[in-house]
Amino acid sequence: MAASASASAARPLAGDSLTIHVSSRPQLAMVSALPRSSPPTWRLGLGRPARLSTRSPHARSVRCLAAGGGLAPEMRATLDKVVASHKVVLFMKGTKDFPQCGFSHTVVQILRSLDVPFETLDVLANEALRQGLKDYSSWPTFPQLYIDGEFFGGCDITVEAYKSGELQETLEKAMCS
Amino acid sequence: MGVTKEDVETAITSSLSPSHLVVTDTSGGCGASYEIEVVSEKFEGKRLLERHRMVNTALAPHMAEIHAVSIKKVLTPAQAQPQPEPAADKAQA
Repeated sequence: MAASASASAARPLAGDSLTIHVSSRPQLAMVSALPRSSPPTWRLGLGRPARLSTRSPHARSVRCLAAGGGLAPEMRATLDKVVASHKVVLFMKGTKDFPQCGFSHTVVQILRSLDVPFETLDVLANEALRQGLKDYSSWPTFPQLYIDGEFFGGCDITVEAYKSGELQETLEKAMCS
Repeated sequence: MGVTKEDVETAITSSLSPSHLVVTDTSGGCGASYEIEVVSEKFEGKRLLERHRMVNTALAPHMAEIHAVSIKKVLTPAQAQPQPEPAADKAQA
């Protein structure tokens, strides 16, 4: 996978070189904490997320990271910021207004119908982001929905949770936190 | 060469030993898209997200060649019992 690599190969993914088109600007204030010019001096222990962020303690990392060993630390740190930058973040194919895939479209429709503010990122516009997210979330497909900094699921899970009311509950909780 | 329905069935059977498994090829024959229903004891006590992860893990070797997987049902045998299989009807349609 593209994101697996030695420190030097990982550098193109480092913080500010990763162009991410978000539907509105994420707060990138904390990105300055990223090691920008110096190569990473630390390596990830197997599967444990490196938490650079000093953000709220409930900005939990993804639960299942056992398979995420191939992710460059910079990419992980960047994604930590991105998923925490908004209450609801959807990584999808295409954009809110022009989804490029039926599954992505479905999740956009659900979020719209619930009248919840959400940000989207187009993984088709950024191959590094697309590959990095698969490792980061330990999830092989898109869309990927993050609520309150935590991976919620893909299309099937979102649809099922929408039907059962669990999605609404989770969103409500996130909005109040 | 794409992934066959049998490949998907074998992968899931060997890692999840399902008591019920329906794999539907929704790709129109090219092998790139599947719908899956699984009932397995191994889902006992697992949340939906974890169950999906288990299925994803089982399919991991094939995922590079599959474009889309839709996991319709991941149930425990106990959950599968009380419902008079509305899902099964759909799958056979």
